[in-house]
Amino acid sequence: MKFSVRELVYIAIFGAIWGALELTLGSYMHVIFPPLGDTFVVGLIMASLGVVVALIGRLFVPRKGSVLMIGIVTAILKMVSIGGVKLGPLVAILAESLLMEVGLLVARKPMRWSFIFAGALAITWNFFHKFIMMWLLFGKEVYEVYMGMVQQGASMLRVDVSYAAAIIVLLLFIRIAAGALGGWAAWDLGRVVRGRLAR
Amino acid sequence: MAVLHGRALMMGDRRIIFSSYGYLFFFGAAVVMAILATGAKVVFVLGGTLIFAALFHREALRLFLRWQLLFFILLTLLLSPFVIGQKDIALWGLNLSREGFWAGLWMVLRALSIALAAGVFAGAVSVSQMAQLFERLRLKGLGFAVGVATNMLPTVQETMETSYNAVRLRGGFRRHRLETLKLLLVAIIAGSLRRGDDIVSAAEARAFDPARSQGPALHGTRADVVLMGVVSLLGTVLVMM
Repeated sequence: MKFSVRELVYIAIFGAIWGALELTLGSYMHVIFPPLGDTFVVGLIMASLGVVVALIGRLFVPRKGSVLMIGIVTAILKMVSIGGVKLGPLVAILAESLLMEVGLLVARKPMRWSFIFAGALAITWNFFHKFIMMWLLFGKEVYEVYMGMVQQGASMLRVDVSYAAAIIVLLLFIRIAAGALGGWAAWDLGRVVRGRLAR
Repeated sequence: MAVLHGRALMMGDRRIIFSSYGYLFFFGAAVVMAILATGAKVVFVLGGTLIFAALFHREALRLFLRWQLLFFILLTLLLSPFVIGQKDIALWGLNLSREGFWAGLWMVLRALSIALAAGVFAGAVSVSQMAQLFERLRLKGLGFAVGVATNMLPTVQETMETSYNAVRLRGGFRRHRLETLKLLLVAIIAGSLRRGDDIVSAAEARAFDPARSQGPALHGTRADVVLMGVVSLLGTVLVMM
């Protein structure tokens, strides 16, 4: 992947914007939301914002690999931030940018539908993130803990366990919708930014 | 930003024992061993990671002061005896499982090993070295992009603050919140891109070529080879045990 100086500077700027959002808004939300809400609330909001910023970046650097580069720049900025290294957000940023890149490969040039697809694909990661990270960090036994919690919770509330499965499917669909919306918004906002710069 | 520069200077002053390759290998090996080590074997993985951190990057031990991590440790230790395995012991009127307690403990130790190894890697390898590691993966110009992003970060944060205050003072968030949020993002991106033009001009005036590698090349050290040998040997013994 070879980029011109201008393209690299744009990649750096979009990486810095995503990084600044993670360091300011992300840190603030991690404080106000409880730890268990990290992935389901904070992760979803931050991932949606990241998708919008990175995909607008793709409009300004319309070349393969640009979104992945923006993600790597963001991850490095996040890694060296004052709060210290946190594996979860790092893996999420890298995985989301990689999935966006894969999603954008389906179209030869930037198009609205490819942005929507890339956004939805990227935020789908957010759903699997907690499970994958928990497996990586705690091992497969953690699934037993989760299954036990779901079963006990269902019996306490006297509801069928299948309702829990329905809620999980609903959470996945919310993520896909948020990603698609992020891709849609990025396409429009990118054009507005371009118009403003041309003035 | 001062923290970033301060750390980069500190890295320059410190006597180099392991190169970035050594720390990367250590991180990778710790993750693989923590995943492969079953049951009580994970104690050895955490022990090894703790010794390495204490000897070569003590700052990483601050991880144990993080309240989110302590919360997860406590939660896992408290929950696992209730939900894993057959309940074979009664304590204060509660039916608990010994198997669950041990499984929870091994999970916690495994998580600590990986988190500590990641802390050592992130703390010991500077921003430019990290960018160079990525450049080796054919991502040319990444070092330059990371450098620009690091310098742009305070400017972007300032732009964010100024734009947010301007929108707020005009009462932007009182109605049409979504529209205001969009305008805010547009203002931040457009403002940051305008400043980027100056950087492009400066880099082009200095005949900067992104294809050329930036900064000193990464070289492995003898200590890296020793580390790789020792960790590979101990890791194989631990997994085969």
